[in-house]
Amino acid sequence: MELQAVLMAAGGGSRMMDLTYNTRKPLLPVGNKPLIWYPLNLLERVGFEEVIVITTKEVQKMISTDPKMKLDVKMKLDIVCIQEDADMGTADALRHIQQKIKTDILVVSCDLITDAALHEVVDLFRAHNATLSMLMSKAHEFTETVPGQKGKKKTGEQRDFVGVDGTGKRLLFMANEADLDKGLVIRKSIMRKLPRMHIKTGLVDAHLYCLKKSVVDFLADNKSVSSIRGELVPYLVRKQFSKSMTSPNVNDEADQKLKKKDGNANLEIQILSRDEVLLQLTRERSCWNDHRGDMSEAYHGVRLRCYVHIMDEGMCYRVNTLAAYIEANRLAPKLFDEPAVHPSAAISVRCLIGADSIIGASCQISDKASIKRSMIGASTTVREKVKVTNSIIMHGVTIEEGCNIQGSVICSNTVIGRGADIKYCLVGSAQRIEPEGEHTTLSECDWT
Amino acid sequence: MSSRGGKQKKGNVTSEQEEEEQPLQAVLVADSFNRRFFPISKDQPRALLPLGNVAMIDYTLEFLTSTGVQETFVFCCWMSNKIKDHLLKSKWCRPTSPNVVHIITSDLYRSLGDVLRDVDAKNLVRNDFILVYGDVVSNIDVSQALQEHRHRRKVDKNISVMTMVFKESSPGHKSRCEEDDVIVAMDSKSKRVLHYQKTQGLKKLQFPMNIFQHGSDEFEIRHDLLDCHISICSPQVAELFTDNFDYQTRNDFVRGILVNEEILGNQIHLYVTQDGYGARVSNLQMYDSVSSDMVRRWVYPLTPEANFTDQQGQGCTHSRHNVYRGAEVSLGHGSQMEENVLIGRDTSIGANCHISNSVIGNNCTIGDNVVLDRAHMWNNVHISSNVEIHQSVVCDGAVVKEAVHLNKQCVLAYNVVIGPNLSLPDGTVVSMHHPEEEEEDDDDEFLSDDQEVGHSKDKTRQKAFNPAEVGPEGKGYIWKASMNDTEDEELAQCLWGLVLNPDPESDSESEASEESQDRSRSVSPEIDDVNAFQLEVLGTLQRGLEENIVCDNLVLEINSLKYAYNITLKEVMQILTRVVLEYPFQQQGTQLTTLQYTGSLLPLLKTWSPVFKNYIKRAQDHLDCLSAVEELFLEQDTHQTAMVKVLMKMYQLEILEEEAILKWFSTGATNDKSRQLRKNQGLQKFIQWLKEAEDESSEEGE
Repeated sequence: MELQAVLMAAGGGSRMMDLTYNTRKPLLPVGNKPLIWYPLNLLERVGFEEVIVITTKEVQKMISTDPKMKLDVKMKLDIVCIQEDADMGTADALRHIQQKIKTDILVVSCDLITDAALHEVVDLFRAHNATLSMLMSKAHEFTETVPGQKGKKKTGEQRDFVGVDGTGKRLLFMANEADLDKGLVIRKSIMRKLPRMHIKTGLVDAHLYCLKKSVVDFLADNKSVSSIRGELVPYLVRKQFSKSMTSPNVNDEADQKLKKKDGNANLEIQILSRDEVLLQLTRERSCWNDHRGDMSEAYHGVRLRCYVHIMDEGMCYRVNTLAAYIEANRLAPKLFDEPAVHPSAAISVRCLIGADSIIGASCQISDKASIKRSMIGASTTVREKVKVTNSIIMHGVTIEEGCNIQGSVICSNTVIGRGADIKYCLVGSAQRIEPEGEHTTLSECDWT
Repeated sequence: MSSRGGKQKKGNVTSEQEEEEQPLQAVLVADSFNRRFFPISKDQPRALLPLGNVAMIDYTLEFLTSTGVQETFVFCCWMSNKIKDHLLKSKWCRPTSPNVVHIITSDLYRSLGDVLRDVDAKNLVRNDFILVYGDVVSNIDVSQALQEHRHRRKVDKNISVMTMVFKESSPGHKSRCEEDDVIVAMDSKSKRVLHYQKTQGLKKLQFPMNIFQHGSDEFEIRHDLLDCHISICSPQVAELFTDNFDYQTRNDFVRGILVNEEILGNQIHLYVTQDGYGARVSNLQMYDSVSSDMVRRWVYPLTPEANFTDQQGQGCTHSRHNVYRGAEVSLGHGSQMEENVLIGRDTSIGANCHISNSVIGNNCTIGDNVVLDRAHMWNNVHISSNVEIHQSVVCDGAVVKEAVHLNKQCVLAYNVVIGPNLSLPDGTVVSMHHPEEEEEDDDDEFLSDDQEVGHSKDKTRQKAFNPAEVGPEGKGYIWKASMNDTEDEELAQCLWGLVLNPDPESDSESEASEESQDRSRSVSPEIDDVNAFQLEVLGTLQRGLEENIVCDNLVLEINSLKYAYNITLKEVMQILTRVVLEYPFQQQGTQLTTLQYTGSLLPLLKTWSPVFKNYIKRAQDHLDCLSAVEELFLEQDTHQTAMVKVLMKMYQLEILEEEAILKWFSTGATNDKSRQLRKNQGLQKFIQWLKEAEDESSEEGE
């Protein structure tokens, strides 16, 4: 076993509270599968046989009991529950399962939907004996109109600046625009070693990381780091160029000195990718080098290395906002080849269902209904003369006769009254929409 | 801009053909407007200095001609007559020359800015032109860059005003010159320059955020570029120089354009070549490396044997190991020319010489048993026997007598005589001009100096040569590198430029400090603030000592730090005490004896007592301070005897009051260690003394 897979599925989905109020983020239906299925499927496809899933009690219960949430994966799931109200970050979660970690790990977030070739990331990790390798992708513009949001999406968001070397693989710099109020500062010594740096913005971090086991050990000793993306990754990226990481001779002395000084400081030493002796020797003896232009040794003696694979094409979404959720629903069906209409659904012959729609299990669709570019969840009843376009209908929804639903998201167990006209709305779960109402661009949620 | 710009535009619209047909023009600035090559350039302008036995300006002109320039304006200032004479004699002024050379001289040019303003005033350029200095050696084909430049101007309607030509070369490459090192931020797609900065002396490179806000999402920061000092300019450049009379150099111009991009709407682009060669000989270091690149044929087709200047008798033969010989070269028995050697015509070399990586000019004579390595000898040089020369420049007419040893980076200027039996240390510069004479004509340094040399000659004669410096038969004055004024301090760096790889230690130091910041940053933020504050206070005090800052100002600084790091007053006191008491260890290492420690600490206490007094006012403050002292000495248990002295001093300086000390002594002990501390004999005595003093004073009071 080369890598252990860890799936982080304890996040609350705080950026789309409207949706996650009743359904936990990992269980949100995307293409009639719970969101968590996608990263699991990704891991299964590349041959993982076992996954550690970090999640909450509630999600675990739902997965094991609710048939709608059934994950049809063959991998062995080792589900670890953490307390929901403990406010644990992803790094905290890793620390929590440190005992289970025996090798290097692959950490995936539960909201990742991608068709990326995972081996690219892992190959970087292997080839350069990296401490960290991660996946990024070009950001996609969301084309669909988002319910409850007037106009196009807000602009002027803080951009992430990612610096990679000339080959576009080595990760050199990472910062958010918000932290760069003094301008972008780079040490000259770094530029001297890696003279060509590409600064890219407009990338999405897929939250998929390969990490050395030593990093987990480091986390275990260093309790102040609580988030992988927020703290650990920037820390590792920065550490690549600090002195103790580059000069191996000084290192041991420094190690001892630091140990004496305070208990905390020596911990960062452990994070070093300690190259195996043979590997080290191979590198010294071979003429291979990772850079050109000067005569110094490969990697300039840097022993902590971070790499990134940036996807140029293909799909990569992080379902963490409403817009991303809608987009994912539109595209997700392309990821798996299952019949669009579940066999157990009862569908009238005289209704119209577009090829780009998905109908869940035991649905009832009556005469003269028209469904286009939409997803209908399990056990949903769609009555006569209902028109559903561009919408997401979750499980157990009842849509009475003559409704017209366009560009909306209807959460579970809602009943929509006869003849209602709903355009670009987000309807919370277990609501009752009055008959004959007309709604445009609003969010209705049960907040009580 | 001016009306001319408008006309230009119209011209573009009416017929593109016409534009194509217009001859490509170039502006060649045959003056460096600096004194990097002093004192060599006192006798010969830089553009005429020989590189591989050919004047540098010839390389530049050859480069321009080979890229298709048909009309060149050569601007001369310093010793313009010499340059003019040279050019009139050269192939460039023959009627068959494909490149028409116009020579424009003026004594009033003091910078590149003046030249370009004159270009504008005289209305010389009609179209895009190439701007180079007279000391650029290059074989880059700029036609590609020119095409890109024209295309951009056509598409963007005169927005791009300049295309700078860069050559890719990694940092540390020997043809890179440290003082010319640049960092460029560019837009990856449009190749637009967003930020351009010289990096000399910088440790951190800072890029303002506004350069990243131009809609593009991919930028490049490049430090692997060598500035060839070749730029393709649109006619607007000259106009812009006129409009902005404060622009002196191209650097000013580039910075001005980039900063005012929003206002003027002008942009600068760059062109990067991978395989061409281009470098500017901006100091002797560069001279050395460009010359050796030339001999090693990196500038092909500009090679020594090509005789591109087309002058009689300049031809030479090329044999393996890059050995070039001019006509009538005689080589004595047993002499070896190892590799990369260029020998000019009519030069004779004695027996058993050893020559490598050197260029020797015309009509030189070299004696027996001479060792030359990386030597650059110009014309009519006489070297006697048993001489050794390493990486040095020997100018025209210089004479080196018997058994002289020139160490690295020596310069023998025109007609100097050295020796016999002398060894010149590294970096010696000898010239027939007296350095002081130089100072005298500092005022008009930029003026053409034909007259000057004349009138100062008398003075020169009055001053005798120093045989200890230049040898018994020597003639010449040593130019000291470090003289009082800054101008001459520059000279030290000037001639040979800066060392290419500055001490890497200096880098790592900053890294280390950064790391300590990193570390404290990553650990819990609370500790971090206190630590950082402590470091800052230490820094402040250190600076205070070095720069003799008044204590009031120190207090101000500490106060502002206190707010910056959100530190309580109590912590300030503790940290201040700690920093001061640890200061001797900080400065002199932890191996101090107690005596040394107190010796260095007590004066410090005295200096900083106003700072202490500012913070220690209430009774509680006194106790806090005392407990900080105690804490420190509990850690430094070998120095506990010093504690009494410290307390005594603080008492005498009225930082601490006796009541506070007594109170601390009687109540402060909370654990074994501090109780142990209080049993210290000296301390006991001190307390006893205090008590008695108190009694006395109270008695007196009665």
